[in-house]
Amino acid sequence: MLIRIIADLLIAIGLVFALAGTKGTLKMPDTYSRMQASTCISTMGILCAGLGALVYAVFTMHSASAAIKIGVIVLMVFVTNPVGSHAIIKGAYRAGFRPEKRMEVDEFRRDFDE
Amino acid sequence: MQKAKFPAIAATFVLCYAFWILLDFSFKVEELIAGAVVSLPVALFSARFFIHENAGWFLHPGRFFSAIFFWCGTFMVELVKANVDMAKRCFGGCKNINPGIVKIPVDLRSDYGQAALANAITMTPGTITLDIAEDKDGKTWYYIHWIDVATAEPEAAGEAIKGRLERGLRRVWE
Amino acid sequence: MSDFVIFAIFFAALAVLNLIRVALGPTPADRQVAGDNADILITVALVLFSLYSGRAIYLDIALISAMLGIIDTMLVGRYLDRGRWHYDADSDHR
Repeated sequence: MLIRIIADLLIAIGLVFALAGTKGTLKMPDTYSRMQASTCISTMGILCAGLGALVYAVFTMHSASAAIKIGVIVLMVFVTNPVGSHAIIKGAYRAGFRPEKRMEVDEFRRDFDE
Repeated sequence: MQKAKFPAIAATFVLCYAFWILLDFSFKVEELIAGAVVSLPVALFSARFFIHENAGWFLHPGRFFSAIFFWCGTFMVELVKANVDMAKRCFGGCKNINPGIVKIPVDLRSDYGQAALANAITMTPGTITLDIAEDKDGKTWYYIHWIDVATAEPEAAGEAIKGRLERGLRRVWE
Repeated sequence: MSDFVIFAIFFAALAVLNLIRVALGPTPADRQVAGDNADILITVALVLFSLYSGRAIYLDIALISAMLGIIDTMLVGRYLDRGRWHYDADSDHR
């Protein structure tokens, strides 16, 4: 019973962070801030939810294959996500998508664009 | 493109074989032999794209345990703090942000160390690495999109963004 | 046991909410990032549903989905970058 409560609590924490990321993705004012908000989903959301599922798979189901697969899923998202995030923010900047409001500082434009 | 060495092929083969066992998860003799037969040509073909340096480099115990300590200790603390901060910003109406792109200096010399630091910065919410550039003196600079620009001074911004991460990674890659 | 399927439904609902940004995002980067978020959330929902139903096939699907999610992101990023990976300070960049 305690294992169930711990697993549910971890998944609920992950759900809260995923909700925060989704709200940020929907409500943030410009493209780059939306990307920043969406990092919440792919780090803390999947980490907490995967940890809860792992606790349940190890202590209640006693299934080694399910536990290893859940661990590999979390690890895979953690390894591959920053690479894609880096590629798409650089592509967006190079393709010329600028926010409507001027940024606070923009060293990249100052060094490379003109 | 240089020819693949034997340790690189062996490391790629072990990785492919582990993935086969993971997806299959039955330990009959025929299936194990079939996995070996499939993953050997894959390792022979793709080892030279996959591993460029010494394959057993990471098995040194000091480096290994420093890396484990970094990714499970220091990085996790920074990750949770940045996530709570970002969630507060999102639930607080998405209004208290002032985004900008700052430029910070990096002292790590190794290629893998720089890549690991860039990925660690990208994974903490609030900062995304945009580009890595090298100036004429050979000094490396990161361009970082930061959602709440506190200072545009390169040294102070670098200490605020990557201070602890770089001190943790220097134990692995120096 | 049935709380897992409730959580899975919540995660899938969040993925559907991300599709709003896919529909009305002004730039292709917005659409791609929101689509990637939906992919990750559906992966979590599949993991939870596999624990609920006790069948391992959903875990395999979630694993492949988590692995393939990177490829389209890299593809769109490279397309937006006009096929150039390295920044050369001497060449003419836009």
